[in-house]
Formats: sequence, C-alpha cells, structure tokens
Amino acid sequence: MALAAYRHLLRSTRIAFQGDAQVLHAARFQARDAFRKNATMEQGDPALGPAIAHAEEVAKILRENVVQGKRVDKEGEERYKLRIHEHTERGDNNTVKMPNGQTVVIDGKKCTDR
Amino acid sequence: MFRTALLRSARRATSQAARSSGAIARPVVPSSFITKSRFAPSAFQAARCYSAAAGLSKPEVEGRIVDLLKNFDKVSDPSKLSPTSHFSNDLGLDSLDTVEVVMAIEEEFSIEIPDKEADAIHSVDKAVEYILAQPDAH
Repeated sequence: MALAAYRHLLRSTRIAFQGDAQVLHAARFQARDAFRKNATMEQGDPALGPAIAHAEEVAKILRENVVQGKRVDKEGEERYKLRIHEHTERGDNNTVKMPNGQTVVIDGKKCTDR
Repeated sequence: MFRTALLRSARRATSQAARSSGAIARPVVPSSFITKSRFAPSAFQAARCYSAAAGLSKPEVEGRIVDLLKNFDKVSDPSKLSPTSHFSNDLGLDSLDTVEVVMAIEEEFSIEIPDKEADAIHSVDKAVEYILAQPDAH
C-alpha cells in the first residue's frame, strides 16, 4: 500500500513538474525523505493509515492542482503561459470550492434579496 | 414543359453558385490541400520515423536497464550488475528503491506500468521480460 502511494506520488511529480528538472528533483528528494522517515513503521501501526492517506493526497494535489507557468511577456504586458494538462482539476467558481465532485446547491437568492 | 424549364433554371443556378463559390474559395485551396493530405499520408510517411519497425531487441533492453542501474547511486555493488540480478538480493535495494527503479524504467521506455505489474518486477530479467511484452515501449 505504501509502495503504491510512493509510486503514485512519484508519478504525480512527473506530471506536475514535467521538463523542470530542478523542481522535479527537489520534489522527489522531498518525497523520498518523507517516506524514509516513516520507513520503520510496522504493519498495523495506527499512524500508518493516515501517513499513506497523506501521501496519496499530496499526490492528488500535485497532479490536479499544480500548474506550471512560464512568463511570456507580450506587448509590454506581464503574461504567463500555463500548462494545463488532462489531469488538472477544472471547475467554475461554484464547483471548485466543493470537495470530491459534490455539486453546489444554489438557492436562487441574489444580492438584492437580502 | 414547365418542369424542364424549372430543372434547367435550377441547374443553371447551381452551376453559377458553384462557379462563384469556386472563385471565393480559391484562396482557401492551400489549406484544403493540407487537410486532404491527412487522408493520403503516403507522401509524408517517410518523415515519420519514430522508431524501428522491428521493435526492441532483448540485448538492447537489457543494456538500457543495466545502464540505468549503473547510474543509480544506491546500488551497493555495481560489479554484481548483470541481466539476471535481483534488485534486493543482489543489488541491496530496499522496496522504496525498487519503486524508484521501476519508475526510472517507465521513464526510460516511455510507458506506464500498472501497479499490479510494477509490484511484480523485482529483478532485471523480470523487467526485461515485461518491456519486451509491451508493444509501445521504445
């Protein structure tokens, strides 16, 4: 289980930091460090489950919520070109705040109704 | 009589429309040629040489995996590196290192190994066997 989490994490770093060797190495170093720190955990340790869940969540954030940007100034304006990939979480202002794909319930009230 | 007149006028109208649209469409001709070339790719095939058609040979895969392990700093004894060495028994790698090696193999051959198969790869020959079974590994 922990190994699968480690694999997912490494894979996510590859997706999130594609072509950016410096950050990719730093992220992998960090991941390795964190996993080594808990390497002595026994099977059945109560902290094991949360630790794995944490790793999986980090992997998910890296994969879905981290986007690379490159500064490409145009016409004297400061602009960034973002690399939004297939795993990037996309939603509008309402759905993006809701966890796990839940949908927002809108009650139909407007500002003027208050 | 009335019908033939109608047909004739209709035919004239369509041919006129075709002629006029042909004149308008002329500047677009180069782009339509490009889209057409997608359906007739034989002329451009020669430029698309991504890899050899024959696929990977066993010695080549072995060599690439052994080279990859040579550069992996955690291998305790590089002299033990061989096409049959076991990651943990021969090379002194632990389970986390093994995951890293399998990831590196994935990147080397630009494939993605599913978790189940990846967990079963514990030695160089297992990895070679797996890569050779993948048609899109290169």
